[in-house]
Amino acid sequence: MRCLLIDDDEDLRNLLSRYIRGHWPDAEVEAYDPLERDLPGAAFPLGSYDVIVLDYMLGRGDGLEWLKSLKQRADCPKILFLTGAGNEIIAVRAMKAGADDYQRKQELTREKLIASIRELTATAVERTVSPDLAARMEGHSLGAKVRIPGIEVLHMIGEGGTARVYLASREDDDEPLVVKILRQEIVLNRKALGRFMEEYATVERIQSRHVARIFGHGNYQNNVYLVMEFFEGGDLSKRLGGKPMPPTEALQFFRELMFALGDIHEKGILHRDLKPQNLMFRRDGSLAIVDFGIAKNIAAADRTGAGEVLGTPRYMSPEQVQGRALDLRTDIYSAGVLLYQMLTGRHLFDGETAMEVAMHHLNTVPPPLPDHLAQYQRLVEKLVEKDREARFRNADEVIGFLSRKFEQEAPDITQKLH
Amino acid sequence: MSTDEYKVTVAKDLEDLIPVFMKNRHKELDALRVALAAADFEQLRQLGHRMKGVGNSYGFARVSTIGKVIEDGARSGDRAALQAGISEYHDYLSKVQIAYE
Repeated sequence: MRCLLIDDDEDLRNLLSRYIRGHWPDAEVEAYDPLERDLPGAAFPLGSYDVIVLDYMLGRGDGLEWLKSLKQRADCPKILFLTGAGNEIIAVRAMKAGADDYQRKQELTREKLIASIRELTATAVERTVSPDLAARMEGHSLGAKVRIPGIEVLHMIGEGGTARVYLASREDDDEPLVVKILRQEIVLNRKALGRFMEEYATVERIQSRHVARIFGHGNYQNNVYLVMEFFEGGDLSKRLGGKPMPPTEALQFFRELMFALGDIHEKGILHRDLKPQNLMFRRDGSLAIVDFGIAKNIAAADRTGAGEVLGTPRYMSPEQVQGRALDLRTDIYSAGVLLYQMLTGRHLFDGETAMEVAMHHLNTVPPPLPDHLAQYQRLVEKLVEKDREARFRNADEVIGFLSRKFEQEAPDITQKLH
Repeated sequence: MSTDEYKVTVAKDLEDLIPVFMKNRHKELDALRVALAAADFEQLRQLGHRMKGVGNSYGFARVSTIGKVIEDGARSGDRAALQAGISEYHDYLSKVQIAYE
């Protein structure tokens, strides 16, 4: 395998080269310093490389311009483009300019680099033999064939149990968007799918800064999709990183979450699947909820027998665990579990199995907060009451409680945002 | 900063890259000082941006954090923030403890 590494930073060239050689000991990696060398000219043997890793900032050159120029050559190999984190417009432009994959430079790990190069350089046989590679290829080709009016689907960036996720943008600008395409096994449940379409039509009409903007949803040749905003700040899970947040910050995000719940509950929608991965941050730091549990419920409809617990029950309310009818207090409970995690950096309940965690939600008294967080104990207790009659009744009631008890601690951003 | 914030763990197979990495960081610190003295905010922005990119990659999250402070400070022309960021960088580089695993 031959790799051309174009980056103006010596340390990054050294690091990426080490990662590649560590995985492919026979690999030939040529480090190309754009501070010392110009854009490879016509005589440069571009076709002798299997892959190019190209940075978006080249010191005295623009990586996007280099990308466009290189891609005009017939012998150009696959290009992995490195972009800045939190600026997905660069990624959109790179994919539109012909990049074959992109990675956020600041988040580039050994594993991500190897996976990307492996995918780009895989032979036809490898793509068939390796199940994970075959699945990725299937995802990429699906994204390439789905047609959404006015939207360009650019690149698969993630896969979940219910959907594949793609970076996309409008055809007439470079604003990054996300397209989610539901998995076929979910689409096959026609009745539940009808409910999904109906509920997302409602979500689409919600005008709230605290709810992900849905720009459209539809069905292209039996591929059901959603078009939604892209969150450059990542999710709460990434933000937490297994650690507690400063209490004022935790309370601020929690308050924003309550505004979000207030907005969706007012429209008669329950989220049903609140968890750190579903709380997203925009570039300006504001928070919005995504991924309503609608799709999850579709998945559950035919496959869940009585007493069976679906997925992770870490944030499930007792009534969800019991499979009882839900009302908006189920989201209040889940939000309380999230607040506990934001404050302490720990899960409210842990267990060896999903069932064990679920049983804790039903039967175990929540552990008290550490002494330095004692002032939030009553709040958390009332959020995660097992008896929903004793819980806060709705988001407004929680917001009122927050205002009365913690007005001094969370006065700023949420007020501006709302 | 607490003592823990000066501790960095680096993969064993990257150990031989670290002397060059640290040498470049010290050169960067000098370049930051020169750029601030000359009020060369574009150079400061570029240096901050580079720190932001390279720090996390090697596991030196603090380098990235300070890089962001410098990049933002350079964008807004905030000399006080730049001075504070550079001082913090000097302090960090003089105290950082590296372990290899």
